[in-house]
Amino acid sequence: MSTAPRSRPSSLAIAGWLVAAAFGIALAAWVVLNAGTIWNSFFPPQAKSVEGQEIRNLYDIVFIFAVVIFAVVEGLIIWSVIRYRRKPGDDELPPQTHGNNLAEITWTLIPTVIVLFLFVVSWQTLNSVEAVSPDPGLKVRAVAGQFQWSFDYLPTDATGDTKALFTVTAPVGPDGGLVLPAGQVTHLYLKSPDVIHAFYVPQFLFKRDVVPGLTNQFDLDIPASDAGQTYRGQCAELCGVGHRIMLFEVHALAQADFKAWMDKQIAAANATPPPAPSGAAAGPSIPLVAQNVKFDQSTLTVPATGFTIHYDNKDAGTPHDFVILDNAGSKVYGSPVVTGPKGADFPVPAIAAGTYKFECSIHPTLMFGTLTVQ
Amino acid sequence: MATTTLTPAASAYRTGLYEWLTTTDHKRIGILYIVNSFIFFFIGGLFALGVRTELAQPGLQFVHDELLYNQLFTMHGTVMIFLFIIPMLVGFGNYVAPLQIGAPDMAFPRINALSFWMLPLAGVLLLMGFLTGGAAQAGWTSYSPLAQDRPLSSTGPGEDLWIMALTLIGTSSILGGINFLVTIFKMRAPGMTMFRMPILVWTVLVTSVLVVMATPVLTSALIMLFIDRNYGGHFFDPGGPNGGGGSAILWQNVFWFYSHPAVYIMVLPAMGMISEILPVFSRKPLFGYKAFVFATAGIGALGFSVWAHHMFTTGQVFLPFFSLMTFLIAVPTGVKMFNWIFTLFRGKLTFSTPLLFALGFLSMFLIGGINGAFSAAVPVDFALQDTYWVVAHLHYVLFGGSVFGVMAGLYYWFPKMTGRMLNETLGKIQFVLMFVGFNLTFFPMHQLGLAGMPRRIADYASDAGWNDLNLAATIGGFTIAASTLPLIWNVFSSLRAGKPAGDDPWEANTLEWATSSPPPPYNFDHLPEIRSERPLFDLRHGRTVVH
Ligand code: HEM
Ligand SMILES: [Cu+2]
Repeated sequence: MSTAPRSRPSSLAIAGWLVAAAFGIALAAWVVLNAGTIWNSFFPPQAKSVEGQEIRNLYDIVFIFAVVIFAVVEGLIIWSVIRYRRKPGDDELPPQTHGNNLAEITWTLIPTVIVLFLFVVSWQTLNSVEAVSPDPGLKVRAVAGQFQWSFDYLPTDATGDTKALFTVTAPVGPDGGLVLPAGQVTHLYLKSPDVIHAFYVPQFLFKRDVVPGLTNQFDLDIPASDAGQTYRGQCAELCGVGHRIMLFEVHALAQADFKAWMDKQIAAANATPPPAPSGAAAGPSIPLVAQNVKFDQSTLTVPATGFTIHYDNKDAGTPHDFVILDNAGSKVYGSPVVTGPKGADFPVPAIAAGTYKFECSIHPTLMFGTLTVQ
Repeated sequence: MATTTLTPAASAYRTGLYEWLTTTDHKRIGILYIVNSFIFFFIGGLFALGVRTELAQPGLQFVHDELLYNQLFTMHGTVMIFLFIIPMLVGFGNYVAPLQIGAPDMAFPRINALSFWMLPLAGVLLLMGFLTGGAAQAGWTSYSPLAQDRPLSSTGPGEDLWIMALTLIGTSSILGGINFLVTIFKMRAPGMTMFRMPILVWTVLVTSVLVVMATPVLTSALIMLFIDRNYGGHFFDPGGPNGGGGSAILWQNVFWFYSHPAVYIMVLPAMGMISEILPVFSRKPLFGYKAFVFATAGIGALGFSVWAHHMFTTGQVFLPFFSLMTFLIAVPTGVKMFNWIFTLFRGKLTFSTPLLFALGFLSMFLIGGINGAFSAAVPVDFALQDTYWVVAHLHYVLFGGSVFGVMAGLYYWFPKMTGRMLNETLGKIQFVLMFVGFNLTFFPMHQLGLAGMPRRIADYASDAGWNDLNLAATIGGFTIAASTLPLIWNVFSSLRAGKPAGDDPWEANTLEWATSSPPPPYNFDHLPEIRSERPLFDLRHGRTVVH
């Protein structure tokens, strides 16, 4: 090398080492203090479905191999770096080894065996995760559209396109979400009317794309012991501006509770629908346009004596509604859902003067504004 | 030794803008590629900082328009891949490969210039989206139907500009690939047999084969998407307002048929650079030269049979086959890793900046390879796909691998390109900042992904437990940004007042160090005899004579 090795380290280098050492000690202390949390963060959440548990077991196997391989290879790197530094003034060439066929064969064969093993175990897990039960206890069609989920409950002899017994339209909340019986196998169909979405529940360690033009399906088996739990789900495939608000919940109910819930939903769906509210508009007509998942107004001023929202949804194929919330966030008024392109008049009864929030409950993060009642 | 310049011949490179605009010299074109790519690295980096700033905390604080957020990460990914890392490696290949095989230039110098000049044009087209009502926003993968021209998807010219830009870049790549192939096959100096070629040349060769085979597939898919959007085609559109008939999955198949081999296009030449640098700084030959060549070719071949591992969750691919192939491709990659380590083993290591970055490459690429094995296990991929785990994985490969390789290459070949050394202290400061910042940014993303955070979201619930890790990643992002300051300072100050490099500052092995720094037009007055893959080593140790 052309530069002569320096005899004394510069003060900059010493300062650098001191800073590095301080950081190292702080980091080590922090790691020791939080060891449990850190360790857990290297694993997926505790699996809450039978399939998820199998995936978790597979993850643990892959994880062990990963850690061992990392330790061995990184150890070799670090050891070579520390052990084989060139000493100042040493101009002799090290032995010029060009290779070693035995070594090459070894580090071709051993990794081959390891990856074949991992392939076989993951294939086995795959087969059991992908297996579908011949007689699932329940069939549900999850429909993902920009940007909301809804869940069609199907008769047990259904195929993917059968008419629903009833539909849960609210993706979250106590009256909404995907309600499932714990301890029974549910068969899910996935449908999208627009773009690709993905059904993803972290605690099931599972996701499956919802692809327009075809129907994906899989089985979900929540153990009976998890009845009463709620899990968060979220769209996992970029689907446009509202992608991140495509949340949903999964409620696992004990089988008896589930049956009661199901019967109630079916009864409600079969009941004759209540007479449509009389079309007579109350009070002044306030225009409001929903377009590109935005309202054209961010503030509305209305009389306390009642008014009519003259609603125009210009988004083809996309449902919107109109909801008024008070300061505490509870619903003061909720309109029916309108799928565009379509207009509708929503007569709103008298409400107390004050300031409220209005929004589209399907796209609350994109479509909202302030409603002043005078 | 060959020619020796007493003063750095930098003056030859300071002749007028016109010379640069019209040059067909492979060295100048290489430098143009490298400078252009660095400019786009900074642009893409700014987009990433926008993304990281928004994600630092829950809530929307920085990018209030979520459509803009989608544009930011789409443009970040697109710019980094198509305008930074691929052209950057082409730039190094352009500069170094002809020198290393003792050729006076590329086989088709004017086509070489054409390939380069398409890139800035494509970059301008791509970024123009921001001025015409919104850049592309469907992700760098541009999945259909989200990329179709319809409400709530990709209306407006941004996506069309994205298609045109990528078509231009694809054409540029194909021309460049053919140029490299002809150069390497036809223009090697006497004595430079295939198995005496430097590994970098081998990786450029395999990369060029991948480019020539895969890029036309992407280009035709892009044209079909353009027809879908503008002339009522239905290649990739299963439904939509006008009826359908197309297939959303078809786009993914053709896109990844290109873009998976493209992953190797983005990393093989960086592996080649590392394979030049590790032997020089350990003063040993590369361990297992032939095994390395076969592993490179093996990766290239297997690389065409793993594309659907990006599509495991679509439910529409034959999972066991793609799982097996994906696992198998780890084998040649592992072979390379061991060959690199055994090059260090029993060597005499000098810790100059190029070696530091090369070691950074080894450690980070190791993590990027290992966390890839999780995704090869299909059921585990069901949990990880489209979460931040994937963002961690891809950056460990592309940043921890390719970008560290590029930095190593820059510090290594800068003296040859300019006649001046880069400053070692600044180089080491840059390395430490970049290494720490990189791990602080991307390591926590593994944990975020495991905890269920999807990628491509502008906001997240504050009670999801993702706050601290996101904050760490953002701090890391800004540390990476800070690490580019010593780099920029280093380049400009060294250009003016760096230590003169001489012909061969590193006691290197390959032919580019047998000529002056920078080399004269057409590169060599005379060449040493080529008896092995290390002609300069042979020369230095008296194993050959100069003619
Ligand atoms: C400067 C440091 C960098 C930072 C802080 C950074 C950060 C990020 C983040 C946070 C994302 C995820 C965005 C999201 O899903 O919402 C992302 C995506 C991505 N990054 Fe980077 N990145 C950096 C450098 C790079 C480099 C050097 C490359 C390639 C050579 C790269 C390629 C990509 C790609 C392909 C995506 C996916 C984009 C998409 O989802 O469409 N990044 N980056
Ligand atoms: Cu989505």
